[in-house]
Amino acid sequence: MSSDGIDRVIATDVLVIGGGGGGLRAAVAAHDAGARVLVLSKGIVGKSGLTQTAVTGFQVAFGYADPRDNPEVHYGDTIRGGYGLADPELARIFCDEAVAAVEDIESFGARFDRDEDGKLIQRKLDSSQTYPRSIKKGDSLGTPIMQALRREMNRRDVPRLHEMLVTKLLKDGDRVCGAIALDFQKGEIVEIRAGAIVMATGGAGELFPVHSNTPDSTGDGYALALNAGADLVDIEFLLMLGHAVLHPATVRGVLFTFQYLLTKGARPLFNSEGEPFLSNYDPEGSDNPARHIYARAVYGEVRAGRGSPHGGAFFDPGSVSHETLMDSLPSQTKYLEKFGVDMTKPIEVGAAAHYVCGGIKIDTGSQSTVPGLFAVGECSGGPHGAGRIGGNSLTEILVFGKRAGAEAAAFANEGNTGNPDRDDASSEADRVTAYLSRDRSGPRPNVIKARLQQLMNDYVGVVRNEEGLRDTIAEFERMEREELPSMSVAEENRVGNYDWVEALEVTAMIRFARAMAGAALLRTESRGAHYREDYPELDDQNWLKNVLIRHSGNGDVLDFEARDCKPSPEYTPVPAEAG
Amino acid sequence: MEKLNITLYRFDPEKDAEPRLQAYDIESDGPLSVLQAIRHVYHNVDGTLSFRNSDCRRGVCGICSMMINGRRQLTCMCLATDGMTVEPPPNRTIVKDLVFETD
Ligand SMILES: Cc1cc2nc3c(=O)[nH]c(=O)nc-3n(C[C@H](O)[C@H](O)[C@H](O)COP(=O)(O)OP(=O)(O)OC[C@H]3O[C@@H](n4cnc5c(N)ncnc54)[C@H](O)[C@@H]3O)c2cc1C
Ligand code: FES
Repeated sequence: MSSDGIDRVIATDVLVIGGGGGGLRAAVAAHDAGARVLVLSKGIVGKSGLTQTAVTGFQVAFGYADPRDNPEVHYGDTIRGGYGLADPELARIFCDEAVAAVEDIESFGARFDRDEDGKLIQRKLDSSQTYPRSIKKGDSLGTPIMQALRREMNRRDVPRLHEMLVTKLLKDGDRVCGAIALDFQKGEIVEIRAGAIVMATGGAGELFPVHSNTPDSTGDGYALALNAGADLVDIEFLLMLGHAVLHPATVRGVLFTFQYLLTKGARPLFNSEGEPFLSNYDPEGSDNPARHIYARAVYGEVRAGRGSPHGGAFFDPGSVSHETLMDSLPSQTKYLEKFGVDMTKPIEVGAAAHYVCGGIKIDTGSQSTVPGLFAVGECSGGPHGAGRIGGNSLTEILVFGKRAGAEAAAFANEGNTGNPDRDDASSEADRVTAYLSRDRSGPRPNVIKARLQQLMNDYVGVVRNEEGLRDTIAEFERMEREELPSMSVAEENRVGNYDWVEALEVTAMIRFARAMAGAALLRTESRGAHYREDYPELDDQNWLKNVLIRHSGNGDVLDFEARDCKPSPEYTPVPAEAG
Repeated sequence: MEKLNITLYRFDPEKDAEPRLQAYDIESDGPLSVLQAIRHVYHNVDGTLSFRNSDCRRGVCGICSMMINGRRQLTCMCLATDGMTVEPPPNRTIVKDLVFETD
């Protein structure tokens, strides 16, 4: 080891952080633009993250299912689904470029379901889609996409390093120029110097006790970007779905997209009294409302004492034939049956954290507010606003992945690799290594994580209010001050030490959780995925605004700014109530 | 309350001459997948165990594949059973315990 605590230094033009769909699409594009690329992932590159688990479909306005559909209609749905807060330029880009993105990924070898005439089959998930638009591959959409991207990575022989947890971004003046990472397999601290960085770190479901995500979705990217001085936007919009299975614990949080069964005669969701209830909660009275309404409706029933034993509602898969189940949702059905769920009887379904609608604020070139730092996919923010309609995420990662890669390559080609501030690099190496030599009397990371998850669930989840948010933020600040310094890892061994990784993750999680709760506190209205019981109405007079968050560099203080946004005409603001 | 006794493969190439098998008693509220059971041991019984907390819960990535009672299976896709033994697949370079080099 060198004197500054860094075991290894690697140089590249474009560093991609994250080995899911957005990261690999960016890596391929950056490579095609002539850059030297390195992909790092805290899981296995190409076999970690959320993209591979994607289920049902992604939105591309081919207009096969309904000739009235086109990118313009898709754009309108996206703007309305974002309740006026989506960045119109960004939404425009991914709706307009979606068809080309599918052609790209098909040219990489991905195949999606087609009808007898060879046309892509398009389905409708819920009322947020004007026409059936989602293309699919059975109910395992992530598989063909990731297979195709892995193949392209291999064909180009793009360098990659597995199981590297990035813990800090390094800067040279205003711009980013590298990162520090912990190598899980070797137990080494690695410095990467790069001309440009693409963040593709995915989501943050693990902040909540029940979620649909993989356990590596700890929101590191948001905290990394905040700590590097980048703006986050719209992160109060945490999409909770209402169609996760709640029982037994082996499958808790796993999605069961029964919405597709509703058109095939399935009985809609019902409460413990056997009554359907969804239309009572939807402003439009639909019994298959937009996704975020589901979680709130189930919550309402539970609170009124009409919930299921594990805090949800019931769906009866037995109300359709087993053939229909296997035809519409084969892998989900097989998975649940493998864990002993009887698919002829009602199952308990309810809320699970699913998707962070906002994230690192990007411009049309996918660049953040920090020069040289690009972002793509779930960790980025802007394209969706206050809600992400089902199937728009994969469209976005493919469109913006390509952009981010190409733009990062261009940025890296312009300048040479910067010189990371040496003090920053070595103090980060010290911070990371210090966990190993702490005394072992403090709580282990998973203990602190469980507490964080409970707080998020109770106060920053489906329903929020001022008092709960204020107390929670104060508690997060206390945890940062008092608990994190005493958190200890189980052993000092460096190789394959998961506590070490989890300690670093938990530290990032609290930072991001505090930012999310702070944004939710500032927004004194309810909109899209954000619901305040003390301000239950949507307030277009005062809140056609995006909340921006940045770390001013003043200690641990986060700055919040509510900035006016100009919604696209597709969004019709709700007028102030007369009188 | 569910009680299980499971046996896990332990080997630290830096310290141990030979791999060994170690048995653990675990208690949980309900059934667990094999991967959840391993995580349970790590968090509640023995923090010196090395494992990969990679859990797609859909059987799509294959990263969790191990030998369960001598048969290669996806640990995220099957139930933990009393008396089971979990080991890395054969012919893999062991990093430590249940973490082996991937290809
Ligand atoms: C169960 C499920 C079903 C879904 N179904 C659909 C669907 O049908 N249609 C749709 O459009 N969307 C769907 N989504 C959403 C969509 O899959 C995700 O939002 C999207 O795939 C995210 O892609 P990504 O590339 O941004 O991140 P991911 O694919 O999550 O990749 C993140 C990567 O970053 C790595 N990483 C994270 N932190 C670090 C760090 N600190 N250092 C190094 N590496 C790091 C991870 O290991 C991982 O490799 C679904 C999501 C889930 C969970
Ligand atoms: S964790 Fe992916 S197959 Fe088991």
